[in-house]
Amino acid sequence: MRPPEKVGRMKFVKAVALSIFVASLAAFAAAQSGGELRFCLRSEPKTFDPLKVEDDASVAIRYLTGGVLVRMNRQTQVLEPELAQSWKVSKDGKQITFKLRSGISFSDGTPFSAEDVAYTVQQLMDPNLHSPTGDAFRSGPGNVETKIISPTQISITFPAPVAGLDRQFDQVAILSAHSPKKEMAVLGPFMVADYQPGSTVLLKRNPNYWKRDAQGRQLPYLDSIRLDIQPNRDVELLRFKRGEIDLINSLDSEYFDKLGAASPQLVHDAGPSLDSEQMWFDQVSKAPIASYKKTWFRSPAFRRAISQAINRDDLSRIVFRGHAQPAIGPVSSANKFWFNAKLKPQTYSPDSALKALQSEGFRLENGTLKDKDGNAVEFSLITNAGNKYRERMAAMIQDDLQKIGVRVNVVTLDFPSLIERMTQTFDYEAILLGLTNVGLDPNEQMNVWLSSSENHQWNPQEKAPETAWEAEIDQLMRAQASSADPRKRKEAFDQVQEIVVEQAPFIYLVNRNALSAVAASVHGASPVILAPQTYWNIESLSVH
Amino acid sequence: MLWRKIARHILALTLTVLLGGLLSAFLVRLAPGFTVDEAQLDPRLNSASVRALRESRLADRNILSFYFHSLNRALHGDLGTSISLGEPVTTLLRQRIPQTLRLVSIGVLLSWAAALALALSAAWLRVSAYDVLNTILSGAFLCIPAAVLALLSVLWNVPGSLAIALIVFPRVYRYTRNLLAKAYFLPHIITARVKGLSELRILLWHVVPVVAPQLLAVAGVSVSIAIGAAIPVEALCGLAGIGQLAWQAALARDLPLLTNITILVTLVTLLANSGADVIGDMLRGQRA
Repeated sequence: MRPPEKVGRMKFVKAVALSIFVASLAAFAAAQSGGELRFCLRSEPKTFDPLKVEDDASVAIRYLTGGVLVRMNRQTQVLEPELAQSWKVSKDGKQITFKLRSGISFSDGTPFSAEDVAYTVQQLMDPNLHSPTGDAFRSGPGNVETKIISPTQISITFPAPVAGLDRQFDQVAILSAHSPKKEMAVLGPFMVADYQPGSTVLLKRNPNYWKRDAQGRQLPYLDSIRLDIQPNRDVELLRFKRGEIDLINSLDSEYFDKLGAASPQLVHDAGPSLDSEQMWFDQVSKAPIASYKKTWFRSPAFRRAISQAINRDDLSRIVFRGHAQPAIGPVSSANKFWFNAKLKPQTYSPDSALKALQSEGFRLENGTLKDKDGNAVEFSLITNAGNKYRERMAAMIQDDLQKIGVRVNVVTLDFPSLIERMTQTFDYEAILLGLTNVGLDPNEQMNVWLSSSENHQWNPQEKAPETAWEAEIDQLMRAQASSADPRKRKEAFDQVQEIVVEQAPFIYLVNRNALSAVAASVHGASPVILAPQTYWNIESLSVH
Repeated sequence: MLWRKIARHILALTLTVLLGGLLSAFLVRLAPGFTVDEAQLDPRLNSASVRALRESRLADRNILSFYFHSLNRALHGDLGTSISLGEPVTTLLRQRIPQTLRLVSIGVLLSWAAALALALSAAWLRVSAYDVLNTILSGAFLCIPAAVLALLSVLWNVPGSLAIALIVFPRVYRYTRNLLAKAYFLPHIITARVKGLSELRILLWHVVPVVAPQLLAVAGVSVSIAIGAAIPVEALCGLAGIGQLAWQAALARDLPLLTNITILVTLVTLLANSGADVIGDMLRGQRA
């Protein structure tokens, strides 16, 4: 028998020990918790179906929730295995065979197998789907065949060679063939837990996610991601400053400098991105513009001279505050493999531009450039209203061209009106816009370069190529698309880049830098130039 | 007599709503860029997909046919599907109405509370310096554009309903103040004052009953003003209500969504005005 005071002391010691143990457990659990990451989507996601994705907000959700067979590492630009352990592309570029990982389940517990891959591919290639992801695989007429070799092996055969076939699967999130939850059953690190239209999308960690870190801990570290739908960039910046959100992608250069002045450790300039700002002239023969203007716009010498008279360094330095690089050609130098390093940067020389125009019959009279028939050289340059950078660029181009006697009238239109003029009425003279490149492979721009394409912006839907150089581009683009040899493809696309720079159907101006902001509370972030810049390694991020 | 007036209001309301919807549909159809979709600029889309996108936009090009089909569907509870968001319009409206209702009702209540407090106190005190101060204050808010007030509410992290209240307040205050000022010069109120009735009794028993019918009419108008203000406030403050939806629909030339929102807003505005009108008539009838 112990004395009563000793029993009381023992109870006290036990209670203290238990409290310490519980507190330690709580602290350990808190340390294990990855927290909640918060950032803004700039528009309402149009769909949660990964196969129908086209808008940026839906692309972001697909990246965070979708499980893919292969993933391009956004930092190294190298393809890495994900749900597929390995893969092999046939020599003719028509077939790809995947060896899949086993023992993986969707977020709702439905097992993953080759059957799901076959189902996804069949859904993706439905001709009525009309999605950018599906269209990227459509290189020729005919059906796609899927052959399930075993539950962990599948081969997919396309009717024609698909350039960069394996890389295209980076965009294909695998759907479950059997889950009653359909596209809401996912294989990615997060799953959609709640959606408040116009307000937030809440993603929660996928409890069945298959990846583990080097210490064997299940990924992702984060417990949840809160995506606030916020189209207003000023509000987005304000919320970042208040600590209400943790990341900003594609930060404006003005905001970058403001934020950087106060907290330099929060902002990141990853260098030139894939996106370009460019202008082009209307070369459509049926366009409702004066015929003498069409003659100018269809002259490569005129386009080259205009290009030469634009000071790209000033555009980068003044409009983008140094957070942009003068563009050289259709591919940004950020695209390590496909950029043609032989291309020389465009030199700014109004004198040379004027001489080149004079040799084409133009003459300068009292500060006004006139063509050989005496028409003053004047055109309107349209850009989208509300984009302050393009409006400033247009104003600077106006000043630059004034120096060679060319009068530019800057017009801003809302985006739908601009698209209508550009694609349907062709009622414009010149347009200043940007091209957002989501992928590295030139095949993704196929519908810009082919003369018969709807997106061949300077002269869409040509029945037959109207110029010899467009015919040559058609031939080279088709050649690179039908080859599985990366070296041959590179050779062909290098030639395309040279022709485009020589003929200047697009006058490339600048490549904007990939600017971002990351709160100090986010651990593991390493922003890159490729989308999604700040959260490309979402599995490794945590918030403390 | 009153029933005849209510019936007349219902008829006018129905016709105005139908015409408002049709006018809205025509305006959207005539807006440049109606037949295009931003998605068609995606360089990965092939020609067939671009054509399919374009065709889908052209399906509603005949506005009369679109409108009568829409009305027919609406009678069966189907308001169509939003082009830009791909969701049924009924679902979108159901999701967004509570936010706007909350925003507008709190905004209107706050504005009325502030306007009545200032107008009544000015009428009661009858100190010219106080009156001038209130007039300057309301004039200042009248001059500030709705979008600026919305941005300030974001900047200072205050609820959007306060921005709505500040937009509605000066209109309500000025009208209320003028009504009260006129009422104090009515012969029976001057007599009451001469007889030595207390100011509070004069205000509550003699002034308020006189101005109540007109104030009710202003109440109806203030609801319309608040609904109009909800568009910039919701769009700029990122509030997921009908105003933000209307803004998105206008930018995307979303014909089914925009037409239905116009009908809804017209309906609510007219109901508020007609309701105020009818109640005002009832009050006037009682007094007579």
